[in-house]
Formats: sequence, structure tokens, C-alpha cells
Amino acid sequence: MLKKRLIGVVTVKNGWAVQSFGYRRYLPLGKPECLVENLDRWGADEILVQIIDRSEAGLGPDYELLGRLGALGLETPLIYAGGIRTVADGVKLVQLGADRIVVDALLHDDLISVKGLSECLGAQALIASLPLSWQGKSLEWLDYRSRTSTSISDEVLGLIQSGVISEVLLSDWKNEGIPDGFEQKLVEEFPLKDVPIIAFGGLSEHEQMRMLLQSPRVTAVAVGNFLSYREHAIQRYKEALTGMPLRLATYKSTYSLIADV
Amino acid sequence: MSYVTVGIVDYGMGNHASVIHSLRDLGFRVRVSADTAVLDSTDILVLPGVGAFPAAMQALHQRGLVGYLQQQAREQRPIIGICLGMQLLTSASHEFQYTAGLDLIPGEVVALTGAKWHIGWNTLECVDSEPLLQASDGEAFYFNHSFCYQGPSEYQACITRHPASFASVIRRGKVVGIQFHPEKSQAAGRTLLKNLILGLTHA
Repeated sequence: MLKKRLIGVVTVKNGWAVQSFGYRRYLPLGKPECLVENLDRWGADEILVQIIDRSEAGLGPDYELLGRLGALGLETPLIYAGGIRTVADGVKLVQLGADRIVVDALLHDDLISVKGLSECLGAQALIASLPLSWQGKSLEWLDYRSRTSTSISDEVLGLIQSGVISEVLLSDWKNEGIPDGFEQKLVEEFPLKDVPIIAFGGLSEHEQMRMLLQSPRVTAVAVGNFLSYREHAIQRYKEALTGMPLRLATYKSTYSLIADV
Repeated sequence: MSYVTVGIVDYGMGNHASVIHSLRDLGFRVRVSADTAVLDSTDILVLPGVGAFPAAMQALHQRGLVGYLQQQAREQRPIIGICLGMQLLTSASHEFQYTAGLDLIPGEVVALTGAKWHIGWNTLECVDSEPLLQASDGEAFYFNHSFCYQGPSEYQACITRHPASFASVIRRGKVVGIQFHPEKSQAAGRTLLKNLILGLTHA
């Protein structure tokens, strides 16, 4: 049976891994490579590296960082987000080691390139990032570059529904970094009922994750900040989520469990 | 001590870094090349791949590797195809258009039934007592694809369910195709790669 996934997220700004709070406040954590290496060792089901200042600054993808991550020899599937402008960008990212890529700004700017990426890499390699918030009676979609929210356009919804994209990364951006902050209503009210959802933003408690994972619409939960507070956080979450259709917690050690005698 | 040297067939599709790291971690020597002279000096060939079938076959043709790989299979050289590389081993694919494959394992590549794609970790079920894969029976591996193998059951070594069953490992003699990514499947992937490579090269 296909398992649901627990995805470890590393957010990068100015070349440093950061904790992000509500898309506006950031605390440095260290080198992205170190965090990614930990997630790989802890047995995350996928690792998402999102570089949040590339599109805004028009810098394109951070190939250099991806090259450094590739050199780590990761044994965990890697998802890349940040600065993707063209089909050629996406192809190069895959060649450098990304297994899947996330588009966000491109959904606002250039849907033809999104279709092109899907044709070139396959829909299974493509994820749509939708930072959402619940505003009274409707879902609002944030363009993080202009800090403005609008309703999700029919064109974008139609594109996602058509199968050009395999999953939606549904981010509760307002509650990002707030413990137990994720608003379940975002999933419940998301209009495309048969599109797989990766829930992200303010997910800290295993009971909260359990509720989300019980939804047939949610294929994965993604956790960023809350993995940074303790060792082996992935395994601990998985142990607490026993009974959910997740891959069991795995432990990798370079040391033999049998003592030399 | 004799070392096994793995030749990764470089035809310009996808990323080889993880495969190279996995193989080196397991203690194998690795050569990456499209040059048949270099590939000839290795013990086993690995055909990785990410992308679309027609473009991949075109890339193999452009590098003169189609005839070479077919000849190697006839000479009983071990070959492992991974993900798109597995699909290339078959007779043809229906992805975008009908495209002839390497035809090393009879069967065709068709769209998954009952699902648009198959993304994530899923379980391997060995369908017979395939000794090279027995240690991986019941283990979970990372899949990321929307097309799959359809062909004679005699070539289906392992299946996976999503929700319908499909062949996740196919084998004809010393040619083996793996639909998932062992190089991205952590400890389970390492074990499978090691058993397959040692088993095929020492058979």
C-alpha cells in the first residue's frame, strides 16, 4: 500500500537555513547542508528545500546550493523550491539532483511554462505551492512577492485539476511557525476535492498531523521549524503516529549494534 | 580481492549523483560514460533515467547506444535499468506517443490504471522465489512515476499495488528493471542494490 509521507522542510534565505514565522520573521539556523543531512539520516520520507528569496530578487534557482546538496549523496528524495522561471530551469534542477520541483511564483506569472515543465519532467515531478489563508468566508491565495492576497484564479485551479501538477503544497502561511497553528479549514475548503494535498505551516503536534493524515485528501504533512528543536525529530513524530499509514521510523547508524568482543 | 565495477550509461537524461554515491557507498567502483569502450571495461551496466520515454530513446539513439545495449544483453552482460531506465528495457512505450524501446524484456509501458501517478513509498512483493530480491520482499521503496510495465507474467519478478498491482521489478536473464528509485530508498535501497549487483555479477 502507498504510504503517506512526513516531509522535512528546510527554508533557506540569504544562503542560510532559517526558521520562518508567518512569512515575515526569520531566525538563522545554520548551513542548509547540515539540516538536510540530518533529515536524510533521520529517515524523512522526502526533503523539501525551499529558497524563499530567489524569485523576489529575480535570481533564478540556486544551482550552487543544489550542487552542494547533491554532493552529500542523499538517500532521501529531494524536492526543490525557489526561483524557477523556465522549463530549462526545471530540467537543470533535475539534472543536478532534484527529484521533484515546486512552482509558486510561476503560477502567478507563466502558466505556459508550468505546462511545459509537466510535459518535460512529468506531472509526478511537479508540485504547486499555494500559500493560503482563510479570510472570513473564502480562501485567499498569497503572492508572497507583493504581499497581496487574492482568490485562486479559475485558470490556476483548472490547470491543477487537469493533471499538469501532481500535488498541491498547501501552506498555512499566516500560522507558519506557530505551534499547533495549522488551520484545518484550509484543507476542508480547498476547492479541488481530488487533488492530493501536502499540508504545511504550523504543524508541530502529532495529534494535529494524525487528523490531517486521516483525511483522504492529504497525502503528506510537511514540517519545518519544529524539526529543529530536537534530535531525531522525524522518528519521534513517526513513533507518535503509529497506526497511521506512514512508513515506519527508520534508524541509520554507522555503528554496529553488536559490540566487538 | 576482486572489485565489481559498475558502468553507468550516461545518455544525458536525469541525475546520476545519487546513484553514483549509493554504489560507491556499497564499495563498488563506478564509471559514468556514453563511451562504449569505457562501458566495456565494467562488470555490469546501470541505465538510470528521469524524464519522458521518447526523449530518452532519442538520446540513446543519438549516442549510438541502442545497438550497443542490445548486443550486451545478447552476450549475457548484466544490465539494471532504474525508473525510466527500466521502462527503456521494454519493447515500447505509449507515453505521449508509441515509441519503440530497447526490447530486452518483452512487454510495453502503459499509463497506470486506477491512478494518475504513483508518488511515495510503497511495498515490494516478490511473486516467486527470486533469490536476489527475497531480502527486499515486504520492504518499502520510493516510487515516482505515472507509467508502468505491462507484459508477460514470466518477466514480472515483483509487484506493487496502487491500487491495482503492477510490475515493480522485471527480469529476463541478466537484465533487470526496477520501477522505483533504490538510490533514494535509504537502507532498503542499499540492500536491494547490493544483492542485485553482486548476484548478477557473480552468477
